[in-house]
Parts: sequence; C-alpha cells; structure tokens
Amino acid sequence: MKFLCVPCDSPMKLQTVGPPERGSLSIVYSCPECGYEIAMLTNAYETQAVQSLGVRIGPEKSPAEASASAQSATARAEAGGCPFVAMIPGTQEEKPGQVADSTPVRWTAAAETRLANIPAFVRPMAKAGIERFARDNGCLEVDEKILEAAREFFGM
Amino acid sequence: MKGYHDIVGDGGSRILDQVAEQRSRITDGLAGVRHLVAVGSGKGGVGKSTLTLHLAGALRARGLRIAILDAEFNGPSLARMAGVQVALFVPGSHKVSLPRTKNGIAVFSMGSVIPESEALEFESAAQGESHTWRATREFALLGEILASFEWGALDLLMFDLPPGAERTVQYADFLGPRASFLLVTIPSEVARGVVARSVAALSKGAFDGAQGRPNRRLLGYVENMSGYYCRDCDAIKPLFISSDEPAVLRIPCLGTVPFDPELARHCDRGFPLEDLPNTPVGRALDHVAQQLLDSLESTTEPPL
Repeated sequence: MKFLCVPCDSPMKLQTVGPPERGSLSIVYSCPECGYEIAMLTNAYETQAVQSLGVRIGPEKSPAEASASAQSATARAEAGGCPFVAMIPGTQEEKPGQVADSTPVRWTAAAETRLANIPAFVRPMAKAGIERFARDNGCLEVDEKILEAAREFFGM
Repeated sequence: MKGYHDIVGDGGSRILDQVAEQRSRITDGLAGVRHLVAVGSGKGGVGKSTLTLHLAGALRARGLRIAILDAEFNGPSLARMAGVQVALFVPGSHKVSLPRTKNGIAVFSMGSVIPESEALEFESAAQGESHTWRATREFALLGEILASFEWGALDLLMFDLPPGAERTVQYADFLGPRASFLLVTIPSEVARGVVARSVAALSKGAFDGAQGRPNRRLLGYVENMSGYYCRDCDAIKPLFISSDEPAVLRIPCLGTVPFDPELARHCDRGFPLEDLPNTPVGRALDHVAQQLLDSLESTTEPPL
C-alpha cells in the first residue's frame, strides 16, 4: 500500500507506528513536500493479515537495532506478550515484570545472537532445551561452546 | 497524478521487499538440495507420513542424504515416528541444526516442539476469525523453517503434506517448479476418488504458458495398504474389496505397499524400518524408493 499527497503529487513517507492497541495500529505518514500528515488506522483483521505474512511495519532498522530487537523478541516470545509488537520497530522495550526471567541460566551476547536465528515460534522451546542441556552439564551460562557441545551431543 | 507503479517503495515498511527477502532466504537455504519431493494425497489417513519416513529410510540406505519436513503443522506425526519427539533445536552461527534419526535422516516436525496433548496455536488479535489468516500464517511459518534451518547439501528434501486437495495445490504454489509430487492412495474407491481430484487440481495451471512445459512434476502414485501381510500365513491378504470401477489416476503407479501391523507398531515407537527383518512391506518400500529415484533422475517428464 502506498500513499500519495494529491496536491503535491508526492509519495508520502512513513513517520511513526503507534503501539498496537486491541489489534489496531496507528501508522502516520507525512508528505515530504508540504508536511501534511495522515494516519492509517488498521482493524484487527488488517493487522493480522499483514502479521501473517511475517513482515514488519515501520522504518527500516539498523543492524544494531535488528540484533537488539531479535534478543528482545526472544524474551517476549517466552513472556507471551502482545502478538503484534514484533511487527513494529521501536516498541520492543519490555515493561517491568513482562519478561519471564526466572531461569538461573545466563546467555552470553554471542549465544543470544545465535538464538535469534531460530524462528520465533520455536525459540522458547529451543531455549529451554539448551538451558536444560547446560544445567545437565553443570553450566549456568550458555555460550557458543555450550551450543557447539549440544550440536555434537545430539549428532547434528 | 502519479499511479502506484510510478512510486518506488512504499514510503517506509518495504513490505514487498521483505516478502522478496523471505523468498530469497528460502532459495538460499535450499540451494544445496537436489530434489524437493512432496508426498501428498488429498485424502487423510492413507499413510503419507509412514511412506515418507520409510521411503526416506530406503533412500538413506542407498547412501543418499535425506531430510524430511513434516508440513502437517496441525497434526504432526513424524516426530514420534522418527524418534525425534524430544529433539533439541540448536542454533549455529547462521542456521539452526536439525535433529536426526538413528540412521541419519534430518527431521523437522512440529511434534518436536508441541506436546501431543496440545494443539498448534498462533497468537492473534483476530482469534475466532482464523479462517481469514491462518493459512497465510502457516505458510509464513513454513518459509521461516525453510529459511532458518540448516538443510545443507541434500539429495532429497521430502515434505510430508497435510491432507486436502486444495492444500496440496497451495504447497505446489509455495514450493514452486522445483518440487516434484508423489501421491499416496489406498485401494478404496473413496480414497482413489480424492486422489484423482488432487491429480486434477495439481494439473490445472501446471503448464508454464510461455515455455509450454509442465511446472509441476507429478512423479506418480503409490497404492498403500494394498492388502495386509499376515505373518502367520506369510502371505498378503486383501484389505479392501476390489472395485468394479476404480477412479483412474492418470499418473504412473510407482508401486504397491501392503499393510504390516508390525510396521505400524514400529512407527508408534519410533523404530526405523531397518529394525524389521526382511519382509514383504520392506521389499515393497524398497521397490517404490527405487522407482521414485529413477523417476527423479529421469529427464523425461511424466504425463500429467
């Protein structure tokens, strides 16, 4: 979907995406010529239709932002947060108490980055299994060595 | 006034680019796979998963590198049958490693992720209206799996498809012209009728108009449960009364496979076919595996 500012005959640019509220997104576009703003408000079906494609709505992220949001999405997937938050960059911050952090097993940044390679849908199960493997091997930190050991142990 | 196609991009989200990137990741992930073989039917309960697993085993025994993707996300059975129900997915530096069977077949099945006591659920604000979005979500998940897991260099990646003639066509559309199809039926008139519908559905629009070539390759069909193997008599006995007017399946028959209660027991326990002594069902599966291989390697397209 594209938006055109009719008086300027200029394509509008996406500015912000509001946090999802009861399945609705508020997506603000503005005209780079005259500054006129409009907001597209989606209903739950429209939001869901786009989310089902597995795409994100919002301005493109930098690689650092992408890595951070992947790690945050891991925590969110475990916590069972809003199903549409992952669609929107910049709305990844967890609220206090939202992230389930009861496990005593820590993850190094490098291991977390690898974990982000797993599709979000199966990530919580994979994370729990790897933590179990780490505990079984007397480790309370998952790093790349543990991941390699798990691969070897399971004959992968 | 500018039209849609006069404007480059969509002003921010790059939705079409994201979809194209997803497709590109899938293509890259499958670059090392020689053959994509989808095992479907249209009919449920005809033994697609059993045949998929044991044909994979027979091909593996020939030294081929095989992986199976259990595409029946809602009723996955291959995790149990392949003995990977408690498998672990371990992330590598770029991709996720797949669990393997004892005989070295890589298997992805939702049954490794979701306990049998639970159903597959997607979070959504449009629950209760899942008919409007669920198929799209499932195919997006299939894409994620194909793009994220380490398929590596394979001779065959086999897909165990869910039932439904229309679903079979959706998978054909998703997998594209690289995929070949093997259909499974049983000797009942009902099953053959449904499979005949799947053949018709797959054949529709199956030709590339510009090139005039088939872009969906139907390798043939297998008649499963073609009698049952009685161990006491050491003979194949009929399971179904032969029909006077069976539906004609206008694709090659790659073989018939009898039902063997011992094989069913092995499937429930996740034991591979090799654990069974030499039996009629083992020989039949081996024959079908060879036919499948010959068909894949042949350069001529089978008739549609």
